Amino acid sequence: MEDSKRKRREIESKILEKVGEVVSAIAEAKYVDQVICALHSIAVQLFPVDSSRLLGCIDSGFRNQLLSGGISSPFERDDWWHVFYHEAAFPTLARVLIYNVALDWLACFPLSARTQVYDSFFVKGPPIEVVQAIIPALLKNGSNKDTDVNVICSNAERILVLCLLGNNGMLQMAREFGILYSSEEFTNKMLKPDMLVFISKIAQLIASIPDKARLEAPAALSSAQFFKQVIIQLLAAAEERSVEICNKGEALDQSVSDGTFLFVGETFSRICRRGFADILLAEVVPRILGHVRGCLSSNIDFINHNLFKSKTNFQFWFKMIETIKDSYAVERLSEQLLHQLATEHVTDIEAYWILWILFHRTARNQASIRSIFVDKGLLWKVFPVCCLKWILQFAVLDCPPGSDSLKKGQNTQGLRDIVQRLLGVWSTRQFVQSAAMEQQAYVTAAVGLSLEQMSKEELETTKDVMPLILQGVSCRLESPDPLVRRMASCIALVFSKVVDPKNPLYLDDNCREETINWEFGFNRQPKQISASSDRIEKADDEVKSFLSELNKGVSSVDDDRKNNNVKGRHQMFSELKLVDPDEIVDPATLNNEYSSDEEDRDDDDDASENSDSSLQPYDLSDDDADLRKKVSQLVDLVGALRKPDDPDTVERALDVAEKLVRASPDELQHLSGDLVRALLQVRCSDLTIEGEEDSAEGKRQRALVSLLVTCPFESVAAVNKLLYSPNVDISQRILMLDVMIDAAQELANATSNRPRHQQRNLISTSEQPWFLPQSKGPPGAGLWKEVSETGTSLSWSYRYERDLPLKPSQIKTGKSRRWSLRSEKMQVNQLEYSKNKFPLYAAAFMLPAMQGFDKKRHGVDLLGGDFIVLGKLIYMLGVCMKCVAMHPEAMALAPALLDMLSSRDVSHHVEAYVRRSVLFAASCILVALHPSFVASALVEGNAEISKGLEWIRTWALHVAESETDTECSMMAMTCLQLHAEMALQAS
Amino acid sequence: MDTKRPPPDPIAVLRGHRASVMDVCFHSSRPLLFTGATDGELRIWDTVQHRTVSSSRVHGAAHGIIGVATSPLIGDNKVVSQGRDGTIKCWDIEDGGLSRTPSLIIKTNSYHFCKLSLVKKPSTCLEQTEDASSVNASVKKSGSTTEHPKNFCDMKAGETVNAAMLDGVDGGKTQGGSVSTEGPKYVAIAGSQSSEVEIWDLNTAERLACLPQICNESSSSNSTKARGMCMAVQAFLPPKLQGFLNVLAGYEDGSMVLWDLRNPGVPVTSVKFHSEPVLSLSVDEPCTGGISGAADDKIVLFTLDHQTGCCLVKKEISLQRPGIGGTSIRRDGKIAATAGWDHRIRIYNYRKGSPLAVLKYHSATCNAVSFSSDCKLMASSSEDTTVALWELYPPRT
Repeated sequence: MEDSKRKRREIESKILEKVGEVVSAIAEAKYVDQVICALHSIAVQLFPVDSSRLLGCIDSGFRNQLLSGGISSPFERDDWWHVFYHEAAFPTLARVLIYNVALDWLACFPLSARTQVYDSFFVKGPPIEVVQAIIPALLKNGSNKDTDVNVICSNAERILVLCLLGNNGMLQMAREFGILYSSEEFTNKMLKPDMLVFISKIAQLIASIPDKARLEAPAALSSAQFFKQVIIQLLAAAEERSVEICNKGEALDQSVSDGTFLFVGETFSRICRRGFADILLAEVVPRILGHVRGCLSSNIDFINHNLFKSKTNFQFWFKMIETIKDSYAVERLSEQLLHQLATEHVTDIEAYWILWILFHRTARNQASIRSIFVDKGLLWKVFPVCCLKWILQFAVLDCPPGSDSLKKGQNTQGLRDIVQRLLGVWSTRQFVQSAAMEQQAYVTAAVGLSLEQMSKEELETTKDVMPLILQGVSCRLESPDPLVRRMASCIALVFSKVVDPKNPLYLDDNCREETINWEFGFNRQPKQISASSDRIEKADDEVKSFLSELNKGVSSVDDDRKNNNVKGRHQMFSELKLVDPDEIVDPATLNNEYSSDEEDRDDDDDASENSDSSLQPYDLSDDDADLRKKVSQLVDLVGALRKPDDPDTVERALDVAEKLVRASPDELQHLSGDLVRALLQVRCSDLTIEGEEDSAEGKRQRALVSLLVTCPFESVAAVNKLLYSPNVDISQRILMLDVMIDAAQELANATSNRPRHQQRNLISTSEQPWFLPQSKGPPGAGLWKEVSETGTSLSWSYRYERDLPLKPSQIKTGKSRRWSLRSEKMQVNQLEYSKNKFPLYAAAFMLPAMQGFDKKRHGVDLLGGDFIVLGKLIYMLGVCMKCVAMHPEAMALAPALLDMLSSRDVSHHVEAYVRRSVLFAASCILVALHPSFVASALVEGNAEISKGLEWIRTWALHVAESETDTECSMMAMTCLQLHAEMALQAS
Repeated sequence: MDTKRPPPDPIAVLRGHRASVMDVCFHSSRPLLFTGATDGELRIWDTVQHRTVSSSRVHGAAHGIIGVATSPLIGDNKVVSQGRDGTIKCWDIEDGGLSRTPSLIIKTNSYHFCKLSLVKKPSTCLEQTEDASSVNASVKKSGSTTEHPKNFCDMKAGETVNAAMLDGVDGGKTQGGSVSTEGPKYVAIAGSQSSEVEIWDLNTAERLACLPQICNESSSSNSTKARGMCMAVQAFLPPKLQGFLNVLAGYEDGSMVLWDLRNPGVPVTSVKFHSEPVLSLSVDEPCTGGISGAADDKIVLFTLDHQTGCCLVKKEISLQRPGIGGTSIRRDGKIAATAGWDHRIRIYNYRKGSPLAVLKYHSATCNAVSFSSDCKLMASSSEDTTVALWELYPPRT
């Protein structure tokens, strides 16, 4: 012991001496050959150098010097090597090599000399030391951009590539750590915690290489490629090491702290932290998948945990996650793993086993890892539904899955806890209001899938589950979003199936399919990392085969049709054959056919029977379509609608209501209020058979719209009065708003012909003398000319004439006549084509509806429970605003609407639905205001308008920045854009 | 012979009435059609040209006409109209149409919905009676007599008018307007006591009989009253009982009663085929059967046996929608027609009771249906103010 130490110290001093010589020789060198010689002299002491290859490339004067260096024995050389690299000598020489030699001499080195006496110092050294020596050289870049630094850096990069990638440096390093860590010598010298720090320091250095490399660095040092190589080498080392450990018979559990594993884990965690978990997994997944598939294919009948535990090549995988100490890295890794497995389309069983292999130890031992799956995986993150299934199977159900569905294990306590936790989140109103839609769908799927696994007894014994489900379902069913309602009905269906499988509860007619689609339309396929072109090809093939099938189908249909035709013709022929034109037909026999059935009843004589046979019945089918009483008067209509006990009458009344109203009879004005009330109070669901409610609803809505269009003031007054009445329910309020929306749009798009005010010229203002005939007439008429009188010279009258073109009727006479005093031509001239009748009524539509939305009354609470009505109301106001776009009325109505929108209760309403409508209405205001109005308002200092517009901008900005609802933020962006456009036009 | 051929459309639609057309009736020999509407207008139509021959307001607009009738028995130039004003008016048919004033007015003082019925005489004995042409001039008031010779007095119109007018003045005061006639020139109607049937003489405008025959007494039998109002009536002369007027009456409770005027106190038979008021009755030409329509959902074909005095159901036809306002049997006894509240005219094989056609034309309740005596035409009238002419199963001649 003492002896070896002493010897080691001797060698050390020798080496230091030698290094000192070399360094000074290099410093004093005038020629490159001197440098080569100096380096050679120490190189030969350390490792075998092929001197003969150097001889050719240096000057003859130095050859002797080169050869003079004694070549030590291999054993001696080994000692030297050890001491050289593990003591202070190498760092010293390395610094000289990297900075001085590289800068001054390396460019002059012949290629063979560079590899022999320069690169080999690094390549043949232990990579741990080499890395520590080289990497700091990379750090120099960026400080100053002179060529010196560039030379040094590019050389360092080159050496790194050479050592780590070209020479399996990472593999060696990992091996070295394994040896170092377990060797007693090292244990004595260095405390384990220090060793850990050292390992992580090296890992950190390795992981930082791509960051430190310059932009011009070789492609191999770019993050993706470099890490990929590193990972491949490390994985190889780890597998090798695990086999080694197994062979030694050490139990895996005890050998947690193996140097190789530690290093690999540290490096992986750093790679993951840098965001390259996908690269790591791209290497890891195929390997594990290969192993798992091998196992699965060989043991289809019997798969359990022990099977995998017994395989030696799994040992590292069991420990891999454990070695990654950084929980953030593990989280990234697990997330990425799930996505990647989803894109690989692995089966449920494979996915389960992969998860199990990687995570089962850590998930059991470490709460933080468990919570990655159970909390984050279920509640915070959003994965594809297949991943959700895997998570549930692995982390919650904790047993291998069945062939095509989730399977429940022995221990259900975990499941019950999870269900309780999930429901706790899922059922809160706040979650419904504020969580993103994807998140909601995901959590709903998690709830549904885990509920499916529960039995009725478990459901009953688990605390709070039933009330929570009820609460969650009911608060979702109120939502205006059909998707949210569907989530509720899916959960209700699952729940009802658990409670009573024979009696499923369908809240929604649309989702009656057997298996619920938990995706809810969100197809979350992350980007594929490995572009699997073969899959695309497969898809192509599928498409092609599908097409060919389709073609076949078409042609077969064609064939069928042809066959049918042929058959049909055959049949016709055969039928035709039956009728022989020459056959003698006895009329009596024909008659017998018809009267045979009568004989039994009819006791009359033959004569009467024969005569009866002439009484052949006509088609006796009868329907009662014409029997329904028609409602033809408005008064009758109102009366008929108010007969809830006579559904037929109400239905008939609804049928004719729109027509009657559109006819716009005189009494409509007086009856419109009554009619509005009567129509609104009809209960369509009561009077129609199931499945036809929609048509009745549609008729009612159209009738109301027509009422509002034909008789706006009176009807709208009635509607607005009812809008806040406590006697109507939400559906009626929504109906009213819908009707107002439709009516406003219809009025806005209405076209009407109105005779234009005709200006009559006074005699004095006309250009031509009054006594001349007017120049009216058909186009093409010539000028008036005075006709010279031939008779008497004295004439009291003037006569004029002009040429007229032929009337169209003289050429071609048409049959249609227009019953009018005025000609068609005149009408065209006198008619004014007017559009948009709505501005006249806009105030009547909007102002009453805006009053009192914030008052809470009996049965009316728009800001609270009836938020759907509020959203609809604001939407309606927005539509109205749009309908008065560019009219002066918009300017008058905008401030009131802006005032309503900007109130805090509305603009910051908890429900995204309301916020969306506010954004819509705000956008409508921006669209509706004529830029010139805006400009003049700003100039005149119209505070309301300018303040309101500014509010829109700031608020939209706020929403765009901090909104959870994606649709809201999108709309806010649009709103901002509109604002910008308006501002541009107004300025 | 396609059994699936669609039902025929009317060959003509006679428009002109401004109110619901209550009754329709063909002239026995000339191509004329008489129609009466609820606004009191009586129209005569030419069934060849499909044009109005004449139109006259024969009853008050407020009351309207409920029935019109002609019969060879009362003369080819006469038509009888019944109004809801409690009168029956007999009119002469002149060249240009109707006489300006009725030849006879009977004040029946009955206000109800029962259409009058002239006496129906089997065609076989029609000739005999015409030959006999003898009328019992001495009319017995409220006749308890069972025998009424069918002597036919060929009185002049003017005389009739005078007599009627005189009688109208007198009788209206004294008898409360219920007169009945027996014999060919009689008319049967529901009486002023609506549960009774009265027979009036069209010559004298006097009431001949009252069925049940207690009408002059203060109390009427409970059994009759229990039947409720008389809703339909049909008078006829069964061929085998020479000249003894029989009356078949349908009542509010759905029962039908056959009276023989020889014994007006007690009905020959009483049957109840319907569960709702009997609204119309028709007896076929040989007077051995008939058809009845009611407010319930069935039509009953029945047979009458005058020897045993019984009335039996031959066939019961159930309907989808209740209410038959009018029935008629064609003279050749082959088909029968019903006018339904469901706007349909239905044609049946009268012998077998099998349905032959459902005629959809009218857009409101059908009030009456009638066949022409030559069996070629059928007319239907409806609340939709139209009269439709149909040509169905024309006789093979």
